[in-house]
Amino acid sequence: MSVAPEQTASAERDFATTAHAVESEARRLIASYPRGHARSAMLPILHAFQNAEGWVSPEAMAQTAAWLDEPLSVVESTASFYTLFHRRPVGRYMLQPCRNLSCIINGAGDIMARFRERLGVQHLETTPDGLFSYEEAECLAACDRAPCMQVNLQFVYDLTPEKVDAMLEAMHAGTFAVPPLPQTASPGRDWHVAQEGAKAPGARGVPSPNDPGGLGDKSGVEMIERLTRDAYPVRVRPTKERLVVDGPARLGSPIGPSEH
Amino acid sequence: MPVVNVLTDGIGEVNLRDIDVYRNRGGYAQWQRALTELQPENIAQMTSDSGLRGRGGAGFPTGRKWSFLPKNGRPRYLVCNCDEAEPGTFKDHMLLLETPHQVLEGILLGAYAIGSHHAFMYIRGEFEQGYRVFMEALAQARAAGFVGQNVFGTDYGIEVTVHRGAGAYICGEETALLNSLEGKRGEPRLKPPFPAVKGLYGEPTVVNNVETLATLPHILKNGPQWFASVGPPRSPGFKIVSVSGHVRRPGNYEVPLGTPLRELLEIAGGPREGRTIVAVQPGGGSSACLFAEDLDLPYDFDTMAQHGTMLGSGAIVFFDETTNFVEAALALVRFFAHESCGQCTPCREGGHWLEVTLNRILSGGGLDSDIDLLLSVSHQLTGINLCPLGDSIEPFLASVVRRFEPQFRGYVRRPESILVSA
Repeated sequence: MSVAPEQTASAERDFATTAHAVESEARRLIASYPRGHARSAMLPILHAFQNAEGWVSPEAMAQTAAWLDEPLSVVESTASFYTLFHRRPVGRYMLQPCRNLSCIINGAGDIMARFRERLGVQHLETTPDGLFSYEEAECLAACDRAPCMQVNLQFVYDLTPEKVDAMLEAMHAGTFAVPPLPQTASPGRDWHVAQEGAKAPGARGVPSPNDPGGLGDKSGVEMIERLTRDAYPVRVRPTKERLVVDGPARLGSPIGPSEH
Repeated sequence: MPVVNVLTDGIGEVNLRDIDVYRNRGGYAQWQRALTELQPENIAQMTSDSGLRGRGGAGFPTGRKWSFLPKNGRPRYLVCNCDEAEPGTFKDHMLLLETPHQVLEGILLGAYAIGSHHAFMYIRGEFEQGYRVFMEALAQARAAGFVGQNVFGTDYGIEVTVHRGAGAYICGEETALLNSLEGKRGEPRLKPPFPAVKGLYGEPTVVNNVETLATLPHILKNGPQWFASVGPPRSPGFKIVSVSGHVRRPGNYEVPLGTPLRELLEIAGGPREGRTIVAVQPGGGSSACLFAEDLDLPYDFDTMAQHGTMLGSGAIVFFDETTNFVEAALALVRFFAHESCGQCTPCREGGHWLEVTLNRILSGGGLDSDIDLLLSVSHQLTGINLCPLGDSIEPFLASVVRRFEPQFRGYVRRPESILVSA
């Protein structure tokens, strides 16, 4: 993937600003864990980057690795475990209707069908205009007000297809109660790396009339194509500074803001 | 109606997020009493005497869990498990949002009881608002001098660190939670050693559920006998049950354990107009279904276990006769397949293939033998995994396949139709 020089320059400037803003937060986070266990701050630091950029960029993971004095592969491996970390850019609105039991038996199927129809996307896809990302989520712990969903991690309850229509209109008009996410790069069609694909008939592992066993393409060609298509190189080098505090581990002793 | 207000007292009436409101209702009084009048052993003894069993799902006696900590003078940690994600459960989410100070007071009491000076609050990543609410409560408590060095003028110091998860059901399993807290992938550890011996950072650690810890101030205030005298002897006390599904007033209800399921159904408004309840899942997504004839069973740990299911996290889902149990089964199987961490082959592969099989049945491409396949695969992947996630697939699936077999058979292709299409 070729990157225009001016794009590189702007990405560099933007990320440097972001990293500078996140750094003080990272220092505070690391200090909130016992000395010698800075790695505990990895998830919180990645959250801070995602809050700032809308996604966990390769630069953010590289910077986190440098700060924590861990290999980049450790940060990538950890980040990839957690579904809330988006390692590709996503839309301005992350729409996550619940597909679990209490919602399913209370009409979540109609809600999901309405989203798919109105947005023209499947599970784990982003609309071409980059406004909406759509993911059918697991139980969100709001079963008393099923069907429910989260929009950018804020709850919306008691959904009906009509409510879905009104919500999408308000988002288009910029009047929806939940503010849009920051967006520092254009999203592609999906944002999950080497994870599950859309579970539509015909997708791998899902039966279709031509492939009743649902075995699909197991050659790996599809996976390689995906990874090549979606490559996001690290364009900005992280600052090399470690934020890890050296010294003997002080396990279990009280720590507090006064010490830092 | 046996609805009580112990942990839920004041919710919906006053703003318990405000520390002054909480204190005016007696909040933090037990924390002060603990530090100024009681020894850690006293609190541990009271907790044991109360018979309190963990409210997160396993139902293990809290006092006994604490007693496994070695008395070796090593630093130790208390971790509050607020990674609530068991399908149908929404009680911890409510406690976190509505009464964060009560949760914090429980954490402080638990930490003091086990001799810990550093407690952790692990909050599910999706509870972004709850995280902010709890951070504000913690800041208020710190400003009031309830958290930090020399609390209430004693030489006891306690720090609380709040840690946000990032979307992984498996992190509710205590060893996976500890890995996640250490900045690792949330994969469960091999046990033993149990966390009480080797937990967070390799040190003795206790992981307790939100509701369990939030109960501690009340046990201290009213005495262990007050708690132990409620409900059946081996399942004492009050419990918040999350009722959802086909009922008129789904919600969280606090009741004495041992309340019959039928009464819980009535408390939640009963079935919808003209409908009949045909099944109930009594303990979260991991539990087997009970049926209409079981509704008079008392709702407690042992009765549920004796009837092949469990009380679990206290999540009760009622199903009426309009339920499509094939879709319901798919929702849960897909969930466990999605949330498998992938370490153990039976769970990773078995869950996936059960999801494929159910999708095949639902799309009209299933065979008669697929019904047996559901039962045999889900049974064979049970009991041979590191953690209980894989074992959680069989109970609901097998119970509804056996009970509502005609619904499943109705989707499959008959052998003659295959011959015709060939």
